[in-house]
Amino acid sequence: MASEMESSLEASFSSSGAVSGASVFLPPARSRIFKIIVIGDSNVGKTCLTYRFCAGRFPDRTEATIGVDFRERAVEIDGERIKIQLWDTAGQERFRKSMVQHYYRNVHAVVFVYDMTNMASFHSLPSWIEECKQHLLANDIPRILVGNKCDLRSAIQVPTDLAQKFADTHSMPLFETSAKNPNDNDHVEAIFMTLAHKLKSHKPLMLSQPPDNGIILKPEPKPAMTCWC
Amino acid sequence: MALRSAQGDGHTSSRWDGGAGKTDFDAKRKKKVAEIHQALNSDPTDVAALRRLAISEGGLLTDEIRRKVWPKLLNVNSSEPPPVPEQNLRQMSKDYQQVLLDVRRSLRRFPPGCLPCSSASLPAPRPPTGMPEEQREGLQEELIDIILLVLERNPQLHYYQGYHDIVVTFLLVVGKRLATSLVEKLSTHHVRDFMDPTMDNTKHILNYLMPIIDQVNPELHDFMQSAEVGTIFALSWLITWFGHVLSDFRHVVRLYDFFLACHPLMPIYFAAVIVLYREQEVLDCDCDMASVHHLLSQIPQDLPYETLISRAGDLFVQFPPSELARKAAAHQQAEKTAASTFKDFELVSAQQRPDMVLRQRFRGLLRPEDRTKDVLTKPRTNRFVKLAVMGLTVALGAAALAVVKSALEWAPKFQLQLFP
Repeated sequence: MASEMESSLEASFSSSGAVSGASVFLPPARSRIFKIIVIGDSNVGKTCLTYRFCAGRFPDRTEATIGVDFRERAVEIDGERIKIQLWDTAGQERFRKSMVQHYYRNVHAVVFVYDMTNMASFHSLPSWIEECKQHLLANDIPRILVGNKCDLRSAIQVPTDLAQKFADTHSMPLFETSAKNPNDNDHVEAIFMTLAHKLKSHKPLMLSQPPDNGIILKPEPKPAMTCWC
Repeated sequence: MALRSAQGDGHTSSRWDGGAGKTDFDAKRKKKVAEIHQALNSDPTDVAALRRLAISEGGLLTDEIRRKVWPKLLNVNSSEPPPVPEQNLRQMSKDYQQVLLDVRRSLRRFPPGCLPCSSASLPAPRPPTGMPEEQREGLQEELIDIILLVLERNPQLHYYQGYHDIVVTFLLVVGKRLATSLVEKLSTHHVRDFMDPTMDNTKHILNYLMPIIDQVNPELHDFMQSAEVGTIFALSWLITWFGHVLSDFRHVVRLYDFFLACHPLMPIYFAAVIVLYREQEVLDCDCDMASVHHLLSQIPQDLPYETLISRAGDLFVQFPPSELARKAAAHQQAEKTAASTFKDFELVSAQQRPDMVLRQRFRGLLRPEDRTKDVLTKPRTNRFVKLAVMGLTVALGAAALAVVKSALEWAPKFQLQLFP
């Protein structure tokens, strides 16, 4: 299974190297690409999370995502330049049923998002996970669970211990974050960087802390990652 | 290649915005307004003329005119009282939560100075002030009401994210009362396929995109195929009639004039024309899904709309849906989706005499089948011939006429509710 991922990484690698990058937005050709798909119910904040990571700020306003949006950011990990591609998907069920499959192809990691202030979005997770299983050939593709909007403290409906239990059952690390809270920027950054490190090193996710950016992500699986807002 | 080479005529789009020939522009505009009113006032209303005027350069010019003409194009009696809800829809509707989420987030669709109906808006430049929050919120409430009412009255229709982008355009132009009737008609006809329980038919329509591109520019088609870009980049264009992706409301309503006057598949031809117009950018792009998807999904805001509209009309005439259906079916063989409603599209387009005539005229020149027979000469000869055909149809102005006629022949079915 690991070799399968390796080969798909290789494929991205060579295809991006085939034509030299003409766009100013893209890093020079021959950087490795990590393709990450972000899924979850409507309005949980998938667009805001991906925008926060790629543009470094909370978008002024976002609209419903129709189909699939794409964002990308180049990062440097251990001296290697890597492109992180985030595929931001529509939340409404009808889109994922027939439209989204195409984007599961060659995906290196999956980010499941729920809204901490909306229990229904948490309860939808099993169906998202099931659907993801159907689309992905490899079982061991890294998957993480992200609870968004932790800044809305008084409105929280999904308690951390419940989410952690769920994450454990599905062998995923849990992160609680806020795409909006500016003090929390590093956290969103850390989530995606952690994932990128994991993809780069192929080591277990919890052990692959970004060593250079000073963000402390608790490596211990328990107690749960707490909200650092 | 073919489309790109004609790019020089892009200035046509600016002519209506008051360019160099100001007096010429004013005169043409005045003449067009007069023609529209004449068509409106004739008894019975000259819908054929209205269709032609909605397609031709500048479209219907003002929202005031649109309020009168759009109902005619949709065969809606604007004096009839609008449907009223029987119960509290917000409590009853299964779609309310999703609609609410989407409408609340659609702030961008309420542009500054866009005052629906309340002011008899002349084509005067819109005031720079933003739409007052109170007014916007009121319109958002109305938007929710219209959507829920149409869904409640038509239980076979299913809400999709993006439907609100279509409805808001009607709300802003004609106001709540009339918008309800127009949107209901549109939802049971033009955009019906998008409102199925699944998006299989939507996907099927998207499958027309690549064959159209292939007909005009095989090189571009092949590049996109090898990039495996898919067609989802055009999904929001199609199912919102570009309302979701164009920031200037004037461009949106101009396109709505065009689409309301045409065959329901015209938006996919327009999507193809945009891709073809951006040929060079696409070919300069890395040949991978992400790069091409990213490039194409960011729609340029300064497109030469009038030129593109006329090209979309040309393409429709040259490669009508019936002809493309075969290719689209081949294109999606692997995916196998239902195509029931497309039988109707095919039937309808088989009866489009004007474009049949046009095609027969060029039959000697145009033999797309030859492509498969002779691989060596395939791209170049064909593109050359197509370029010539394109030039001819543009010059003759036959395309617009044929589109109007085909829309007309399609219209009677539409009025008899035979169309899905």
